[in-house]
Amino acid sequence: MRLNARPRGVARPDDPAVDTPVPNRPGTGREARGDPRSRRRGGRFGLYGRMVARDVARNRGITTALVALMMLSVMLGTASAGTLVRLIGASSNLMTLADAPHVAQLHAGEFDQPEVDRWAAGRLEVAHHQAMLMLGIDGGNLRFGGEPQTDSIQQNSLVVPNGAHDLLLDLENRPITRIEPGTIVLPVIYEGQDGLAVGDTVTITGAAGFTKDLTIAGFARDSIMNPAIASSKRLAVAPVDLEEVRARTGEVEHLVEFWLQDPATQSAGFKKAYQDAGMPQAGPMVDSATFQTLTVIGDGMVASVVILVSMLLLVVGLLCLRFSFLTAAEQDYREIGVLKAIGVAPRDVRRIYLTKYALLAGVASLLGLVGGLSLTPVLTRNITRYMGTASTPWNWIVPILAAALIFVVLVLFVLVLLRRFRKISAVVALSAGATHQPKATRVRLHRSRMPVQVRLGTMDVIARWPTYLLLLVVFAVSTFIMIVPVNSATTANAPGFINYMGIGTVDLRIDLRSTDEGSPDAFGAVVEQLEADPSVAVIAPMVTTRNDTIDRDGNAASLYIENGDHGRLPLTYAEGRAPTGGSEIALSLLALHQSGLGVGDTLPVEVEGQVRDLSVVGSYQDITHGGKTAKSSLPTGSEEVMWYVIGVELAPGADASAITREYGEQFAPAKVADIEQWRSQTLGSTAQQLTVAAGVSAVVAIVLAALMTALFARMLLARDAGQIAIQRAIGADDAGLRQQYLTRILLVLVLGVIVGTVAANTLGELMFNLMFEGMYGGFETLAQGTSRIDFSVNPLLAYALLPAALLGVVTVVTAASSRSISTTEISSLTTE
Amino acid sequence: MTTATAVLDAHGLTKTFDGHTVLQGLDLEVGGGEFISVMGPSGSGKSTLLYNISGMDTMTAGSVAFAGQDLASLSQKQLARLRLTTMGFIFQHVYLLKNLCLLDNVVLPAYLAGLAPREQLNERAMALMRRTGVAELADRDVSEASGGQLQRIGICRALINQPTILFCDEPTGALDSAAAAEIMDILGELNTEGTTIMLVTHDAKVAARTSRVLYLIDGRIVGDRHQGRYDGTRHDQRHLELTEWLLEQGL
Repeated sequence: MRLNARPRGVARPDDPAVDTPVPNRPGTGREARGDPRSRRRGGRFGLYGRMVARDVARNRGITTALVALMMLSVMLGTASAGTLVRLIGASSNLMTLADAPHVAQLHAGEFDQPEVDRWAAGRLEVAHHQAMLMLGIDGGNLRFGGEPQTDSIQQNSLVVPNGAHDLLLDLENRPITRIEPGTIVLPVIYEGQDGLAVGDTVTITGAAGFTKDLTIAGFARDSIMNPAIASSKRLAVAPVDLEEVRARTGEVEHLVEFWLQDPATQSAGFKKAYQDAGMPQAGPMVDSATFQTLTVIGDGMVASVVILVSMLLLVVGLLCLRFSFLTAAEQDYREIGVLKAIGVAPRDVRRIYLTKYALLAGVASLLGLVGGLSLTPVLTRNITRYMGTASTPWNWIVPILAAALIFVVLVLFVLVLLRRFRKISAVVALSAGATHQPKATRVRLHRSRMPVQVRLGTMDVIARWPTYLLLLVVFAVSTFIMIVPVNSATTANAPGFINYMGIGTVDLRIDLRSTDEGSPDAFGAVVEQLEADPSVAVIAPMVTTRNDTIDRDGNAASLYIENGDHGRLPLTYAEGRAPTGGSEIALSLLALHQSGLGVGDTLPVEVEGQVRDLSVVGSYQDITHGGKTAKSSLPTGSEEVMWYVIGVELAPGADASAITREYGEQFAPAKVADIEQWRSQTLGSTAQQLTVAAGVSAVVAIVLAALMTALFARMLLARDAGQIAIQRAIGADDAGLRQQYLTRILLVLVLGVIVGTVAANTLGELMFNLMFEGMYGGFETLAQGTSRIDFSVNPLLAYALLPAALLGVVTVVTAASSRSISTTEISSLTTE
Repeated sequence: MTTATAVLDAHGLTKTFDGHTVLQGLDLEVGGGEFISVMGPSGSGKSTLLYNISGMDTMTAGSVAFAGQDLASLSQKQLARLRLTTMGFIFQHVYLLKNLCLLDNVVLPAYLAGLAPREQLNERAMALMRRTGVAELADRDVSEASGGQLQRIGICRALINQPTILFCDEPTGALDSAAAAEIMDILGELNTEGTTIMLVTHDAKVAARTSRVLYLIDGRIVGDRHQGRYDGTRHDQRHLELTEWLLEQGL
């Protein structure tokens, strides 16, 4: 701590041949003279407190920035911890209140309830079971507030809510067990969509001019089909309305639900037993772990991103703390010598600094905690809306623990920094006067052809690189948090992204679900018609079947295999190639990982009742159907067909949107979508959210860079006051000096942008893939290479416009900050 | 004394700091080729005079003309250029830039002025360093030279742009007597070659080697002694006479 404040804040270099500012002459205050009276009067704490207060006042700029950074880090840390704990609490609360099933099987087509009842009665692990009738309404026959749902990829089904088990809950989390005739309760996801509100009308149409209007009575939380990513939605109506509609339109499906005695241990075996028993299974089977994953994934991702930003801010905060500490230590070096010389124990010297930084970290942590607790409701708005809230003390304990943890990290860091004080000798401190001696480099001015000030700036960065490390990290972090979301958004929005969705480059995609015996004929008719259409260039019809396979450990598992000619409209394989015959198979990366196999191995697959060893010839990324799919050309006649997909490439000049519309009407209930529409709807709002996140991150990054540049430039100029005075004295003009400082900061910026860009394209891409791996395979598939998406970069945006924006802002801020060069007094060099 | 070839002409030069007047309406004329020492007790305004008369600091009132040009009429940029090309400064503590080697410190003002090709400037710097006996230190760092050697480097830096006038603020103040004598020998030679020198010192031995001594008390020139050019002889006699004169001034 400096004991007597310098009046004008300008350095007075009086150290022989040294260009660094010299600390004040020690010992004007009673404290510095070690006068025992000062201790008696104020006590040791009073002395330390006064020294801390004076130090904070002297370095107001850096102290404010330091507290702000620590506070932001704590705020985001506590808010994200709060979000996660509320998310987990709310989702399990919803599961409990709604009594969500442990296993659910969607089945389209004929359904034999007594058969299921008989089978379930023989299973000891089944605590309870039930089947719910769901009446699927085609998007073309459904209008919300007048808006047709033709383009929606959601499968909307009318249901009569259960009276017990698998309950729909209202927005107060109370069970909805009865619906008034003439009304409908929609999933909460639709609330606010196109201005949809209670009292609006939902219209269902059908053959022969059938029209049924239902008034929206409310919105419901659905424990198993809440999020957008679950593509089925349950719309609750009265039994009488369901029967009326069923008589005129809709496709009946059944949701067969089971509650097990011990789902954690029995779920896997039960699912296998159900399938082996040939129970109704024309549709996906999911379990409660999947419901919960789907429910938490979206908000979990947001919370994870906030945690990441918080950690980055903590790193910047720690570096800023180090910078602040070194600046203070440099200013106080001689005073530390005085304190040691008069016999103050090194422990006491360290305590002064510890008091200061612990106080700052404490204030920042408290403010951050308050800010974080206020921010949590904003971050949890979606969670509250979709799942309600669970009131537990953990909602408060976890954020407080997070704040405490960051506080401890900060204090421990200061303790590590304080170790350097042990090395200070009183004599050296008194004679040298400063810790910070710029080192000469082997780079020489007289050997350079560069402009003088540019060269001097470059040499300073090389000579004092640890000083510039803080700024380098800030610029690299800014670049990183600017580019990664932008690249993520451009990747998810790029047309080529469909390659990672298990489909080659096509113009249209036609999806037909296999519902009954008529489905193969319907599929055949569509194929026939497409082949005859001159506006269609190539079609790739695919039939997806569910086949049993045996993995490396001998476990049986089901696999969705897409059969057809994969040489037509091929996709890009991550490894290997497309399968060409019935003896070859390509697996999605997740399926490959879970089977424990590699390309070149063989996979036993049951085909037409016989086990065939298929060679795994390729792997590809597929983020659809839970990420676990396969491609082959197996016979499908006697297999259980799940769905049909036809990829269509149109002839040059064909009007894709007109054909999509025409086919949509012609091939109903098959879903026809141009591929762009399909991509954007399947990815749901993810791509859109990423675009918004990219914009927000870019602004945050630029603001962070601007603030830190301003702070750093101020500190640098204060530290270099002596050096500036010397250069001005020998005739350097202010414009030239400003050029020198601009060179220093822009050089660091360029390096930071390079580091940040490289990190964004390696680490950032890795993080993006980790996100998909976590989303599709859970924790155990993280970093296992099950997602290998390459960033699709918009070079103009990512490598030109955004860095240019950063460059522009940093240049303006540096130029503005370095105006104070003109106020540096050359007369500070005077000996008088 | 008024000379026909006045380099500096100050009238009513006043400087106040925080309400305290350090220079009180001082008049001074410096002729071309003069070797002036400025003496006086601590706080009498010696260095302040040096910094204000050279345009390095801004005077509160009065005027200073350098080679007929009013310093107050010049912009900061013009003043910087004037300091760079026509004035040289030597400080007690040298104030070298520590991240530059010694040769780089010398050539820096020349590069900033950019009046000749860099090779030529490098050669000129080496010539100066040879003349002051520090050529072998050219590639060394600031921390690798003694106080006397550093002061010679400071002189080389002050001379690199061939200034008309040298301002020296206690150039020997931090040196032992042998090193101080060597520095004064160099300054004497430069003055003989025609460089005007204005030097602040506490040391009567140093002042005895100059041709004119100004004595300041409380920001006023209370004594102005012309003692003739020093030719290397009668040093003790000059020292004695100057000491007596200083005593008369109230030292």
